[in-house]
Amino acid sequence: MNDYSNSKRKKMKIFRNKIFLPLIVWVSLASCKKEFLDLTPSTSLTPNQALATPADLQVALRGAYAGLRGVDFYGRTLPVIGDVMADNVYQSVINTNRYTQFVNYTFTKADGNIAGIWNTAYTVILRANNIINSTVDASPAVNQYKGEAYAIRALCYFTLVRYFARPYTDNPNGLGVPIVTVRDPTLEPARNTVAEVYTQIIADLDQAYNLMTMYVNSSQFSKYAAKGLQAKVYLTKGDKANAKTAALDVINNGGFTLVTAANHASYWSNPAVTTNKVETLFEVSSDAVANLAFDALSYLYSQAGNYGDLLLASDLYALIDPADVRKALYPTGTRGGFPSVFVNKYPAISGDRSDTKVLRLSEIYLIAAEASLPGNEPDALLYVNAIRTRRNAPLIAATGSALFEAIITERRIELAAEGDRYMDLMRLKRDVNRGPNFPSSVLQILYSDFKRVLPIPQAEMDVNQNMEQNPGW
Amino acid sequence: MRKLVLLLVGVLLAICQLMAQQRTITGKVTDEKGAPIPGATIAVKGTNLATVAGPDGNFTISVPQNAKVLVVSSIGLGEKEIALTAVNDYSISLTTKTQDLREVVVVAYGERKRADLTGSVSTVKSADLENKPFTSVDKALQGQVAGLQSVASSGAPGAAQQIRIRGTSSITAGNEPLWVIDGVIVPTGDASRLTTTANLLSTLNPNDIESVSVLKDAASSSIYGARAANGVIIVTTKKGRSGKTKFRFDTELGQSDRAYTNNKYLPLNAAEYFSITREGLVNLGVTQTQIDATLASLGYNNGTDFNWYDAIQQQGRQQQYNISASGGNERTTFYTSGGYFQQHGSTINSSLSRYNGAVRIANKASDKLNFNLNLNGGFVRQRTPLAGGAFGNPVLSTLFLLPSRSAYNTDGSYNLSIGGLHNTIALSDWDIRRLKELSLRGSIAADYQIIKNLVLKTQFGMDYDVLEEDQYNNPFHGDGAASTGRAFSYYTRLSNWTWTNTLNYRRDILRNGDLKGDVTVGYEASQGRNYASSLQSQGFPPTLLLTWPSAGATPITASASLSESAFTSILSLGQLDYKSKYILSGSFRRDGSSRFGENNRYANFWSIGASWNIDKESFLNDLTFISQLKLRASYGTTGNAGIGNYTWRELYGYGFNYNQQPGSAPTNVGNVDLTWELNKPLNIGLDLGVLQNRLNLSFDWYDRKSEELLLDVPLSRTSGFASITKNVGSMQNTGFEFTLSGQPVVTKNFSWNSSLNFAKNKNKILSLPNDEDIPSGSFIIRKGESINSFYLRGYAGVDPANGDPLWYTNETRTATSNVWSTSERWIQGSSLPDIIGGFTNTFTFKGFSVEAHLVYQFGNMVQDPWGGYYVGAGFGATFNKVRRVLDRWQKPGDITDVPKYIYNGNKSFQSGSTFYLSEGDFIRLRNIQLGYDLPSTVLSKLKISNLFFYVRGTNLWTWVKDKNLPFDPEQGVASQQNLDVFIPKTITVGLNLGF
Repeated sequence: MNDYSNSKRKKMKIFRNKIFLPLIVWVSLASCKKEFLDLTPSTSLTPNQALATPADLQVALRGAYAGLRGVDFYGRTLPVIGDVMADNVYQSVINTNRYTQFVNYTFTKADGNIAGIWNTAYTVILRANNIINSTVDASPAVNQYKGEAYAIRALCYFTLVRYFARPYTDNPNGLGVPIVTVRDPTLEPARNTVAEVYTQIIADLDQAYNLMTMYVNSSQFSKYAAKGLQAKVYLTKGDKANAKTAALDVINNGGFTLVTAANHASYWSNPAVTTNKVETLFEVSSDAVANLAFDALSYLYSQAGNYGDLLLASDLYALIDPADVRKALYPTGTRGGFPSVFVNKYPAISGDRSDTKVLRLSEIYLIAAEASLPGNEPDALLYVNAIRTRRNAPLIAATGSALFEAIITERRIELAAEGDRYMDLMRLKRDVNRGPNFPSSVLQILYSDFKRVLPIPQAEMDVNQNMEQNPGW
Repeated sequence: MRKLVLLLVGVLLAICQLMAQQRTITGKVTDEKGAPIPGATIAVKGTNLATVAGPDGNFTISVPQNAKVLVVSSIGLGEKEIALTAVNDYSISLTTKTQDLREVVVVAYGERKRADLTGSVSTVKSADLENKPFTSVDKALQGQVAGLQSVASSGAPGAAQQIRIRGTSSITAGNEPLWVIDGVIVPTGDASRLTTTANLLSTLNPNDIESVSVLKDAASSSIYGARAANGVIIVTTKKGRSGKTKFRFDTELGQSDRAYTNNKYLPLNAAEYFSITREGLVNLGVTQTQIDATLASLGYNNGTDFNWYDAIQQQGRQQQYNISASGGNERTTFYTSGGYFQQHGSTINSSLSRYNGAVRIANKASDKLNFNLNLNGGFVRQRTPLAGGAFGNPVLSTLFLLPSRSAYNTDGSYNLSIGGLHNTIALSDWDIRRLKELSLRGSIAADYQIIKNLVLKTQFGMDYDVLEEDQYNNPFHGDGAASTGRAFSYYTRLSNWTWTNTLNYRRDILRNGDLKGDVTVGYEASQGRNYASSLQSQGFPPTLLLTWPSAGATPITASASLSESAFTSILSLGQLDYKSKYILSGSFRRDGSSRFGENNRYANFWSIGASWNIDKESFLNDLTFISQLKLRASYGTTGNAGIGNYTWRELYGYGFNYNQQPGSAPTNVGNVDLTWELNKPLNIGLDLGVLQNRLNLSFDWYDRKSEELLLDVPLSRTSGFASITKNVGSMQNTGFEFTLSGQPVVTKNFSWNSSLNFAKNKNKILSLPNDEDIPSGSFIIRKGESINSFYLRGYAGVDPANGDPLWYTNETRTATSNVWSTSERWIQGSSLPDIIGGFTNTFTFKGFSVEAHLVYQFGNMVQDPWGGYYVGAGFGATFNKVRRVLDRWQKPGDITDVPKYIYNGNKSFQSGSTFYLSEGDFIRLRNIQLGYDLPSTVLSKLKISNLFFYVRGTNLWTWVKDKNLPFDPEQGVASQQNLDVFIPKTITVGLNLGF
């Protein structure tokens, strides 16, 4: 062998012994380490990590509020169907087919929006439950967060029990919705009674009222927002005494003020969250970043975008006095060849989007007015006219049942396009009688019609062996 | 120890020296047409002596005096044994056959002769992949491999393709096979996040591929362990061969059009639309004033009758150019190539262009040490329109936009008052949807022969994919209007590395060579990282010229995240061969993965296989017409780890923000017991060749059980969670497949080659959690039934008395009802076909050739989930309708299946039922090609080695069984049409030039 092949062989040996084999062994061992297979996600935490401190609870609380903004919750579906299933808002002939089935009462148990309400409510309830059940040490801040979570949970159950069950005023022992207060993915709960659900809601709102000490802004629950919601719950339940007590607590002690006639237009055109405690007790915020884009509520009402499907019923428009500042919220025009009344309560379709009002002080006054009847007509007139005065509307002077009707009509006008009307017709056990804008086949929907209560979503029926469907579905 | 090894080597070398009484053999290797095969291997049987044929096919080899047989082989071609006589010069011709048992095939971690295989492996050659008008190689596999279903759902250039090998084995963990390119496990599928459909394999030039091996059973695939459950596709790219540098140039040009049209699903013109709408308003019972007002608002009699169907189509165009060079010497060989490919789809705004480059260098540093460098890069630009129900989807426009609304105003500008929908013609001009995809796939490898027959091999492979997606929605019209313009910029990077180290030892266990053994042991580690960053801004200046997110006033999304997974594995493979008659194989792999909880982090996979080459038995010597007869059997386990990287963890996620402050929420319910799905495939096969392999049959029967299925078990939504992933349930795929190929006619000037492949598969769910049904959309997963069973109400036609739609109240079909919601659902067939296959015939006469390739699929149902809008008896009244609504009920006594047309809908007729379900059976002429090969006499004058011209048609003819099938029968594995870009038929002309 010559030198060349010798050195070559030597190089080869060096390569083999010093580089090649050790490299393979080293890499093999390196990737054998346990950590090599123990990889954690970059954008998520375990529940223990995520709910460790009071600040974590605050972050989780925002997640619960964000859930309320869901498209099939306060983001759009709830404020929409509360009017289109009633007599306030109808669908233009020029439409994008959204909520047609609610206008026409042709929805099925497989309906996506209905499943959306159900799923979103319980998704938010889980978020609230995790905060309520957190073992982080109590402090004013932690109490505040837990209090807000109680109020959020109460709002979700209040929504569920009103849409998926006959009203408390019909039969307290009827089928309500399942009450879930813990995280347990294996649960297949049966339905609690309506009364049990109301008991839970009222208890949660008591907790919220007692735990909360801070007012953050209009898009978060506060002590008196929780009390206001409780007033509405009592009224819906038919418990007028408690409703009035709660309403008066808010009116007298809450520190909120009613919006005036002068500020009425700017109140509705403002898309931003407020801290001035004017009018709004609680609203669900949509901002310039976190919003539903085309699926936002504002897109269905605003004529500035591509949708604008929903119009105000002409008979409701006629009820509003020409001097009433509320008339200015409803400009008139034509759409699809028909004279139409548009709704300007949610004008912001870009940038910071219009928020969804969930509870306003004006409604608390109307609750106080209604709850004063039949026994205390002066109080009823006082509270309903407090609103009429601030809208430049003629004062109400009726008595007896006419006064009661006037208050219900005042609710219809004041809360139009806010998803409240259908809930009124339900708790009052009234038929839906609609004006000429609606399709002729659905001008009247009797209170007894099984479709007045939404079906338990088919997916839930398929999965949950203990679930019972509403009659007729 | 090292000294001992060296001593051993020394002794062996000495023995070789003793035997060195040499003679020199020369010869030439050609194919059946007489063309030289450069790079063919010529080996002396029973020794390590071998050489490679030069560029002209000539070879010279020194062989021992006592050498008796030369073995000549080339990848993709047959292998031939030549008995040495006193002659020293040989002409050797290798034949091309699809199922030649002497063929060398690429298998897991190496190559094997087909005769030695115990498993079920199908191969596709470069000739069947090159120069096709397909944007990715997966699309070219349709109908080429028995038991492999390759199906598109969109005709968009660059669209994803779904592949199923021997059926569907998993409900949630993925059913796509594992792709291994040049020994490196690579990610495939659609990695895009903004693009409607994309395909990572689009960046790989099919012209760079030498062969594709499809591993279908345990013996061939379970060495890939936890990722092998859905079969393995091994892609081998082209290598250089020593000799004079050879150049090759291929080009192709063509154009395309929509492949399938059902006239019943063409949109109405203005007169028809307003006639049916007036009828619908009358049926709704509104006043004449209202009717007139509504019709006027829809543009009645406005003099416009715009054909959106024609307007959103374009003449598809297609072109590609590929050039390659290969060559080298005994020490170093190279292959390099470059390519350009461009395709425009038949729908506006759909296009793809690709630039490719590849280089592969092999160096023999010494007799013992080899290096290999391989780098393959591709860059794709793609534009793909929206699909499904998006208003910006041009295909949706054709069905939804009214003919009374033109895309243009009289002054030629775009008409933006389009009835709440979007003018997709304007949007294709003003908006941007762009994908740029870069892939680099490469490896460096070395193998070192430590002692004779003991080879250590190491390979480090890398796959690096970068996707840049840009989207701009203008502030004036369409999806951007609400936010006064918006733009997205998404960046996605997938980087994966795999380090494989194997030690291979082979030896004759019996000294006479009757019993041979071959063992490989190895270690493999791999890691995958997926980095994604997303930008979005809104609020754009009122211009079309500023399209990047920087121009937006309001930032909306600014996020980046990383997702990782890792595997470590030890593996071993072994094979015993007795006289080439009896072959026994086995494999074992232990896989660990980050995707599973600590309790279940490692699992073992194994296989055994055996084959019996009966034709080698003496008792078959008399049956001379049987040239090959082989029985194969294999059984083993494979896994499916196709599950989210962190699915097992209970998680709280972020981004649930409120008032632009951070919010968190439970995102994943978690399951610490999660582990891989277990597959147990049993395969029994038979290979038969008769009449000197003029006729070949390869038959396989299989029974593939899949257990511990990863299932998203739906939870009661009252829990706040939609579903939990569990290892529950089992499934079975049984079936058989065969490939029958032959040469019915072979004469001097004319030959006819024919190949039929056929596969029948039956899928059955064996068990589910509590054996409860799992309904999901239009489907149900039910014990005893096929997965992907449609679960819908049974449409019973129209009540002749009043035109109401009727549904059967239940599966007995004894009673009907006009109430959709109270009618029961039941299983209405499956989206999965019973039978798939392909049939190819090739005729050659002198230089002319005709090749026709049919693909077929029978037994599945296809759903049109959007049909309710355009045939739904008036539902979605302000949208256009298709011609099928003209068959509607009009007066008592009418017999039809389309109900009375009522403005805004008739009794939930638009809701899901079998009305919107069709039989999916089809036969499609996937490829027909007429070619001419210039004769060698002309070639030599032109000083080129070959020149081939062809005209090719793709998808030129389609037969469907169901005359009501609305759209193309190829609608993905789920068989649900989604208003996608039409699948094209293409005509191309091309040439291949070698010099």
